[in-house]
Amino acid sequence: MPEPTEEQRKQWEEKIKNMSPEELQELQKQQCIFCQIVTGKIPSKKVYEDSICLAILDINPATKGHLLLLPKEHYAIMPQVPEKILGHLSIVAKHVSQVVLKILRTDGTTVFIANGAAAGQRAQHFMIHLIPRRSGDGLMPAEERLVGAEMALKVKTAIEKKLLALLGGKKEVQKPTVQKAEPGSETKTSLKQPEPDIFITSAAAKRYHKEKCPFAQNIPLENKVILSKEEAEKSARKPCTCVSGKKIPLVKPASGGPETESKSKGESKKNKESTIEPTKKILESKPSTTKTKRGGEASLDDIANLFK
Amino acid sequence: MECEYCDILAGKSKAQLLYEDELVVVVVKDVVYTPGQISIFPRQHFTIMEQVPDEVITKCMVTADKTSRAVFEVFQAEGTNIVIQNGLGAGQKIPHFAIEIVPRREGDGLALQWQPKEVSQDDLDIAAHQLAEEIAKLGDFTAPKKKEEPKEKKVEEIIVGKDKGENYLVKSLKRIP
Repeated sequence: MPEPTEEQRKQWEEKIKNMSPEELQELQKQQCIFCQIVTGKIPSKKVYEDSICLAILDINPATKGHLLLLPKEHYAIMPQVPEKILGHLSIVAKHVSQVVLKILRTDGTTVFIANGAAAGQRAQHFMIHLIPRRSGDGLMPAEERLVGAEMALKVKTAIEKKLLALLGGKKEVQKPTVQKAEPGSETKTSLKQPEPDIFITSAAAKRYHKEKCPFAQNIPLENKVILSKEEAEKSARKPCTCVSGKKIPLVKPASGGPETESKSKGESKKNKESTIEPTKKILESKPSTTKTKRGGEASLDDIANLFK
Repeated sequence: MECEYCDILAGKSKAQLLYEDELVVVVVKDVVYTPGQISIFPRQHFTIMEQVPDEVITKCMVTADKTSRAVFEVFQAEGTNIVIQNGLGAGQKIPHFAIEIVPRREGDGLALQWQPKEVSQDDLDIAAHQLAEEIAKLGDFTAPKKKEEPKEKKVEEIIVGKDKGENYLVKSLKRIP
């Protein structure tokens, strides 16, 4: 093809300017090497293909077995790729990676997506790189370094709003199960636990509480510490009455006179035996009483400690 | 087993929690390739990618995409890398599957790129043959299993109709149970 003259080039540019987004996309598609690979106009080494995507060997690999996972549809960058396709690609990547580990006997794979030229994207077609790795191959020498907790906080502050908007807002997590999968266990272990054994405490507190315990709910968010049952039992903390099942005796500021610990202890036993009042009611009345007593600043844990 | 990411969930870490739901957690770590990097990991502990169930890895990837968009916008990055270091050989440091979103700028000097190698057609053929045969045994991942039948046929058509240079693929496809 002869070099285009200056005039021709200008005409082209003008033409491109006036194109609709759809036409532009069509043009990009025609120009895209990987679209031609998908349609088979350009030969490639395919290792997997389905209706949505295609896995081929990179002709200039980083290591032996370097694969490219492409959606068949043309998307220039990741944000254009529909969620469904992205999800499918990740599933394929996972299974293919497993085969790579097994067949090529590598001890790792790097899944890599370059989004934008600055990130090393070379082709206008979204793809996932799957690179077999071996210890000490020195392939991606970048090392993570300590930037400090302050920087992390800065980053969080900057991005939080935007990210939550994109992810559909903050969610109340009901079951923060910190459950560990046994190594080599089935991949499809159930994520849902019938009764999550988690307890709430704060760093300085001497007791741990159930999630719904008013004590737990009064711990400021930033001080909240979530413990598994095991962790809670191992730590030096004692169970709150909400855990041990004892009824919480009321500190009775109305009765006047400061209460000694031994007295409240005795009362707690009495309460348990004699009061028919539902625990719930006691629990509900609890926080307000303590707040007035301690000038609104009290950590409920301090109060909980009275009931030793 | 010590796991830094499980520690984050247990509130025992300096990392900043950005978002969490039943499946995924998004955090800012204090040890990163470059400031502005965000990490996404499943709530449940999985050491490597191969252990992560489909629905969880899908959610992770979709979350990664959205996070990448946020990183683009907020840090005025010129690009992002989405990296999964899977396994010790890949330099995985924390024994908990995670996706890292790394903001990139032209000339930032981050060594997250590799040197492409020139290889012979034979080498490629060998690798393709080895992998394709085994991958074909996995069948078709196209989501709902009921639709697997027709889609499988389609794949075969495309390959058969194309050229003769890829006989191994056709062969291996026929082995699908």
